[in-house]
Amino acid sequence: MIMGCNRGAPEPASNAVTALPWDSVLVLARGSTVTWRMWRGDPSINAFIDQWVAPRLVAQYGITLEVVPGQGPGIVNLLVTEREAGARGSTDLLWINGATFASLRREALLLGPWADRLPNAQYVDTASPIIARDFEQDPGGYESPWGQVEYALIYDNARVSSPPRNVTALGAWIDAHPGRFTHDQSFSGMTFLKILMYALAGGAERFQGGFDSLAYVAGRDSVMGWLTRHRASFWRGGATYPAGVAELHRLFANGEIDFSMSNNENEVITKVRQGILPVTARPLLLTDGMLANAHYLGISVNARNPAGAMVVADFLLSPEAQLEKLRPEVWADGSVLDVSRIPEPWRGRFMAQARDQHALSPESLRLHARPEVAPEYHERLTEDWRRMIRANAPR
Amino acid sequence: MTRRWSGLAAFLVAAPVLVGVAYSLFASVGLRGGSGGFSAEPWTAAFADHRLVIGLAWSLWVAAIATAIASLAAILVATLFRSGTRSSGVARFLAVVPLPLPHVAAGVLGVLVLGQSGLLARGAFLAGWIDQPAAMPALIYDRWGIGLILVLAWKEFPFIALIAFSLLAGRGKSLEEAARTLGAHRWAIFRTVTWPVLWRGLAPAVVAVFAFVTGTYEATVLLAPSDPLALPLMTIERYTDIGVASRAEAHVLVLMGLLAGLGAVVLHEAVRAWDRPSA
Repeated sequence: MIMGCNRGAPEPASNAVTALPWDSVLVLARGSTVTWRMWRGDPSINAFIDQWVAPRLVAQYGITLEVVPGQGPGIVNLLVTEREAGARGSTDLLWINGATFASLRREALLLGPWADRLPNAQYVDTASPIIARDFEQDPGGYESPWGQVEYALIYDNARVSSPPRNVTALGAWIDAHPGRFTHDQSFSGMTFLKILMYALAGGAERFQGGFDSLAYVAGRDSVMGWLTRHRASFWRGGATYPAGVAELHRLFANGEIDFSMSNNENEVITKVRQGILPVTARPLLLTDGMLANAHYLGISVNARNPAGAMVVADFLLSPEAQLEKLRPEVWADGSVLDVSRIPEPWRGRFMAQARDQHALSPESLRLHARPEVAPEYHERLTEDWRRMIRANAPR
Repeated sequence: MTRRWSGLAAFLVAAPVLVGVAYSLFASVGLRGGSGGFSAEPWTAAFADHRLVIGLAWSLWVAAIATAIASLAAILVATLFRSGTRSSGVARFLAVVPLPLPHVAAGVLGVLVLGQSGLLARGAFLAGWIDQPAAMPALIYDRWGIGLILVLAWKEFPFIALIAFSLLAGRGKSLEEAARTLGAHRWAIFRTVTWPVLWRGLAPAVVAVFAFVTGTYEATVLLAPSDPLALPLMTIERYTDIGVASRAEAHVLVLMGLLAGLGAVVLHEAVRAWDRPSA
């Protein structure tokens, strides 16, 4: 080990930074660079970050934003490896939620608590169960919310004029139209299975309050039973499944299947604008309930610049940034702010926000939103689907 | 002295792989890659799961067929277009055109051409051979990996062909001329000179292609079915699973893939050693 090479002024320990008065945090952050590890797979999100957020951070806080790709399990793997190597952190800010948050907390790889100290945290809609609990976990100040989404199916109203409105009707539709429906093998597809589980086995309430193996087994058997009943009418006879949601969108756009799906009810808006989905594509909520969740920002425990990361997280919570992000021509990502708490003129601007013709009404979104449950449900359902359904392709 | 230096050079080339193998070995028993501690469970779990054996066998099948097609095509093209004529030169150039194409681009091309809404399906529909594009037989995500095999064979063919061209233009040419002046017929020349020169020269490249194709991810994720699940897909799936516990199993799969490649190398060395006395 190389010792004693740390000359110059000692840097304040990261945990001390989170306890400093906000003015001192701003002073520390000025002139610094914040490295943000986030999913870079969507051009509209990238444009919002690179062309709208980054220049404002420079102008308002003197912070240079450096965005690097990485998401979910990749972030966990990276931070574990950095800890093993004893390396200094390569990342300050992390875009995370749910299972990634659980893994990072379990491995003690997140800095905190800090999120409640952000000045803009006062506007957060803390009454919303979708925001206050991250897959039933208490964020505990170790992550700050910055957006929320609701799951939606996507259909093409030029092809399907009266789409099924609940899981039972969907099953009947699939049987009546063989080969025109499937889901993917990754996160979106497995979330769809969880929606089936809620619908077929007693609603979201049945699975709340932590992981319960009895409830899980009953739920899983209902899901696998439903899938087995309708599988022969799935795309390719249910023998194979698209790898990810991008492949699902491609099959939908090429007319090989009649439904796609997305974790974000507004993805249809941005994908239509990008020309990936047809203009006749529409989001669809099932009345049994759709999963809604929030996404958050965390700070890695080995961050070099926790002060800068806190300032960026605070800026992203500001009414200005939340409103911009919400606009359909930008990203159409749901705001996490409580409109009644934010000051004018922002409140009026939020109220006046015009809705895209593809957008669902806030009332119906709220009506159908169901919270996420403990991450174990997702993990177990994924593993059991792979074992019971995927590995037993009909020949 | 030279021998010692060549040993060092070989070690430097092998070192990164050895470090990787060592890390995977430790990680596969829970001693690296997250909290936990020593456990042989990832190994027992991986081998108790019949999906691993099926996935490995499927990947070896795809790699073997794709490598065989690419090699045979390369030999055929190299022997057919070896003359100094202009048309042969053009043919040799065209054969290596796909060489710089990235594998992920080859995979996307495979989807666009071979998919059920792809060019082939639309062409067959326009020609009236099928009632609708979806009636096209499934060539991608198919159980036998036909689309993946075709794309990989097409992508690896130029690499092997390039080596075949230079083998025949160099050593092959002079040996053939010697045989011809000794009165050998065309078939005898091919059997006793051209073919041995080709296979001995090509074998290392063929082994390299086989080892690479067994573990390749980019084209596989775009074209392979979800059952059987190819070894590289299974590996990445475990490595990026939500539960950190699957990481150890991913490292078991990495070592399996490596072992498959090593097997091909060992087989190649054994065949060479057996062949040497007659050479």
